[in-house]
Amino acid sequence: METIITVRDCWMSFGSTHVLERVNLDVAQGEFVCVVGPSGCGKSTLLNIVGGFLRETKGTVAVEGAPVTGPDPGRIFVFQENGVFPWLTVEQNIGFGLLSRPAAERDERVKHYTAMVGLTGFERSYPRELSGGMRQRVEIARALAADARVLYMDEPFGALDFLTRLKMRADLIRIWQAEKKTIVFVTHDIEEAVQLADRVLVMTKRPATIAEEVRVDLPRPRDLDSPGYLAARDRIFSIMGMDAHGGGAV
Amino acid sequence: MNQRIYHIILPLITGALFLAAWHIAVKCSGSDIFPTPLEVLRGLGELARQGLLLKYIVASLFRVSWGFGLAVLIGVPLGLVLGWFRPAFAALNPFIQILRPISPIAWIPVAILWFGVKDTAPVFLIFLASVFPITVSAMAAVQNMQQVYLRAAQNFGLSGFPLFRRVIFPAALPQVITGIRIALGVAWLVVVAAEMIAVNSGLGYLIIDARNAGKRYDLVVAGMVMIGLIGLILDWLVRSLEKFDEVRWGYGQR
Amino acid sequence: MKLIRTLVTVLTVWLLAITLLHGGLNLRWFDRAAAGVGQGKTFGVGFLPVTCHLTCPVTHYINQNMEKTDLFQPMRFSAFPELKEMFLGRPTEMPATFILAPMAIALREQGVKIKIVHLGHRDGSAVVVHKDSGIFQTQDLRGKTVAIPGRYANQRLILFRELKKVGMTFDDIKVVEMPPPDMPAALQSRSVDAITSGEPFMGQTELDGYGRVLWQVKDVWPGFISCVLAVQEDAIRDHRDEIQRLVNGIAASGKWIDQSMTHRMDAAQFVAKNYYNQNPRLLEFVLSKPPDRVTYSRLAPMRADFEEIERLGKEAGVLKGTAHYEDYVDESFAPDPATVQPPVFEVKK
Repeated sequence: METIITVRDCWMSFGSTHVLERVNLDVAQGEFVCVVGPSGCGKSTLLNIVGGFLRETKGTVAVEGAPVTGPDPGRIFVFQENGVFPWLTVEQNIGFGLLSRPAAERDERVKHYTAMVGLTGFERSYPRELSGGMRQRVEIARALAADARVLYMDEPFGALDFLTRLKMRADLIRIWQAEKKTIVFVTHDIEEAVQLADRVLVMTKRPATIAEEVRVDLPRPRDLDSPGYLAARDRIFSIMGMDAHGGGAV
Repeated sequence: MNQRIYHIILPLITGALFLAAWHIAVKCSGSDIFPTPLEVLRGLGELARQGLLLKYIVASLFRVSWGFGLAVLIGVPLGLVLGWFRPAFAALNPFIQILRPISPIAWIPVAILWFGVKDTAPVFLIFLASVFPITVSAMAAVQNMQQVYLRAAQNFGLSGFPLFRRVIFPAALPQVITGIRIALGVAWLVVVAAEMIAVNSGLGYLIIDARNAGKRYDLVVAGMVMIGLIGLILDWLVRSLEKFDEVRWGYGQR
Repeated sequence: MKLIRTLVTVLTVWLLAITLLHGGLNLRWFDRAAAGVGQGKTFGVGFLPVTCHLTCPVTHYINQNMEKTDLFQPMRFSAFPELKEMFLGRPTEMPATFILAPMAIALREQGVKIKIVHLGHRDGSAVVVHKDSGIFQTQDLRGKTVAIPGRYANQRLILFRELKKVGMTFDDIKVVEMPPPDMPAALQSRSVDAITSGEPFMGQTELDGYGRVLWQVKDVWPGFISCVLAVQEDAIRDHRDEIQRLVNGIAASGKWIDQSMTHRMDAAQFVAKNYYNQNPRLLEFVLSKPPDRVTYSRLAPMRADFEEIERLGKEAGVLKGTAHYEDYVDESFAPDPATVQPPVFEVKK
């Protein structure tokens, strides 16, 4: 498959703090890649560089054949702290990236993606009236409606409760399979990464680099008790220097 | 029912206690200069019968409406621009911070020299009093805006005026409205000072005129009471703006 | 956005409505009878609601009733600072004003091109103490707080002169500046021990029963001048006729006031109601008890009076003494008091 994200020898420092060191990364078209690593290691920084919100100190970052110079409407970021606009209704949010399109097409797409994320009936609601999980769905729908080819997701389910998180993962996989988008997903939750990804990139502590990548060739929906799932999970735990069963905080 | 007790009956009880204490205090002090609540009410009645009460309320509201309206018209865009463009902020902020603490009373001589004693001078003073809180709050609203909204907007390719109109302005609006509410309080507060200039109508004028009129302190207090009551209504009106869906998210749970 | 649309609509409608209401109720935009009077042509003359300025409203009233036009527009102020600022800052709108004599001289010293063209009154000031106080003569003021209308008030100079007679200076008393309308309340609450300004604020304390006159200025400085009519030199040059008519009117209405007690009582009524917004009883009191408490007959400026003010002002440190009678007085307008005839005017009852 065609590689659409290429990161070569990427370094990043904020003043004298070195965050990233010698990061290399390739993501193929339509691939679902998760990046895991210890808290504060710099995985969000990496995603922000790829997304165009930060400039690398050294190295090359290219997406879809061109160096990244800034954010791009074709590649939408889904934020951990939720970037849904609270002054707009659900449908206005989902249609936010579509204002240049004809009204009929806009309504059509908004309707379609509202249904896809399961928010039909909430079109006129304001974000403050929704639960955290629903707000994240609005943000995902907004990115999909705008026809983004790539989704950058920065711990999007981090603030949700356990059951909602499980449900959101299943929905995200369903949407990804239907839409064939490329997804780069940053999380500190190893279980989440193994449940979602085609490939998991494991980062080291700061200054961070990619320690190893773990391919997860399991059919979806994944059985969380299958030997393949448990093997992949334990492999990542051990890369991060932790015992799978006494792991504790990551 | 509980709500009603809290928001209607409790203030009424406080008010009644205050009036009683006022009445007793005046009676005990034996002062025949400071009026009792009843005398103030009679003073208000006298003003109402002469048609002066309505005239004065209209005059004060007219000056506050224009002074404050102009302050909003200039202060909000100015504040938003200052909050957004760093060079504009660097160039103008010190100047604004110098002008801001100067009391409108200090501007009275300047207002008379520039505008004479027509309605323009008090309008100017009220404008001055309210334009700075509005500008500063709009400025802070943009500067304190959640970065995630800005990033999301940039991600969708917004920049320049569309970015301003579709994201920065609505994101700043709740705090802008809070600033407007505070500024309206200030604008109404300075109406007395603004009408110390020789205009010949208004609630502030009523107070100053009553001092000229010899022992008419009932009218002085009547003017104070009217200013207070109208201030309450104005605050309630601006507060109702905070209930609109576009800004309600900015005020937390109420 | 709904909020913005609502706000803009409501504000526009509100501004329109309040402007029309204000125009209708206070500016008389829709009053056809008022449209012809006082529009454009006439000039403003500043005054305060004190008896020292009484000839201003009386002249206006008589002229309005006899000629059915406005000779000038009387502009009422509450305190001298605002009046002075308007006079200096907007000379085309208010080219003439009643003003404290030493203040007019001081302005001239500071290079402001104005001239005193006439007097507005004589006498009509007093020093008043609380009736329960132990102050019975000037010496008793030692260590006491005395309120005066301002640095450039002539009341300050006469106080200075009277203190000097008994071997005292301003160092022996405490002087505070206070707008005259606030003085009665200050005396009643005894936050000051004595007050001095133009009437009717001195009479008010007597009428309300807590003030006692220490001395009337007419008894210690007969013909005392508190306030004068000052005019911008530009207006003297460009509008000589109007200024002459104003001065003639003031001289004549002064005579009219002094002509009879009926006139005084009538003046008290229409001035209190239409110009001062005071209780008429107050003006009736100060214009009649005693009848010579304040007088309005000899209003042509006289050199000796002003030289005394100049001398005292310099001695008290209020004036520099750099402007002299011929600098700040223009005698050419004032008619000879002996020839001035009061207008034939009676108030219709």
